[in-house]
Amino acid sequence: MVGLNSLTKLFRKTIGPRIEALGIFPSRYYLNRTLEALDVDDIDEAVRLITLARTGQQQNSRWRLVCQQVIFRCRVLASIHEKQIERIKTELELFGKAQDMRERYLSLQKTEGKAREVLRNYERRLLDQLAGSSGASPPS
Amino acid sequence: MTNARNLSIPGGLTGALLGLVAELALEEITGMEIVNGLLAVIGAGFGLVRIDQRIYEATVNLIKRVPVEPNSDYRDVLEQIDEMSLELPELRESFVKLIQAGIQAQKA
Repeated sequence: MVGLNSLTKLFRKTIGPRIEALGIFPSRYYLNRTLEALDVDDIDEAVRLITLARTGQQQNSRWRLVCQQVIFRCRVLASIHEKQIERIKTELELFGKAQDMRERYLSLQKTEGKAREVLRNYERRLLDQLAGSSGASPPS
Repeated sequence: MTNARNLSIPGGLTGALLGLVAELALEEITGMEIVNGLLAVIGAGFGLVRIDQRIYEATVNLIKRVPVEPNSDYRDVLEQIDEMSLELPELRESFVKLIQAGIQAQKA
């Protein structure tokens, strides 16, 4: 007898993503999975799933709300990276006289900048989708 | 009288114990977590059925996870939430409802 938990895990790790990517499951499934991804800040997965929910089913008020939740979280995370960049900049001015320290701070700053940019790209992409859905079906 | 005969506390306890033993034995032999698996499937089912409740919980969670500076007060937090919810009308409406509900609860 095999545990259902293990079967679910196996499904999600193997053929699950391929079947999911077809967009054949009900919109609720994708919304639920988007919220799961959002809970653990897996933004890449959340964006992928909310996009699938859009292509799979007619858009409704639930889709719009969950999409906006993902955008909001992107903004919050981007602001955290923004603050980190500011902090690194201050520390660089204070302690970045030695070459190796300076390089370390600059590398950190670059990483934070990249993360912020990725989040902003996600935000822009979802805002476009949201704008495209404004004339969609009335809320269900 | 008949009902009293149908209920057996020792029988119930024995059944529960046997179930636990069977679960532990299966877990030991197969290495699979059957009860957790069942709970996961039931949870996922509820998630699909109660999607509105799930969305509501996620909205509350979003507010809870907004970073708060040690020396900022509630107005700063509200301003921050307001800025970040620009162009997000439905979410903003949900936030307003949550805040109003919080104020009502405090008054009550």
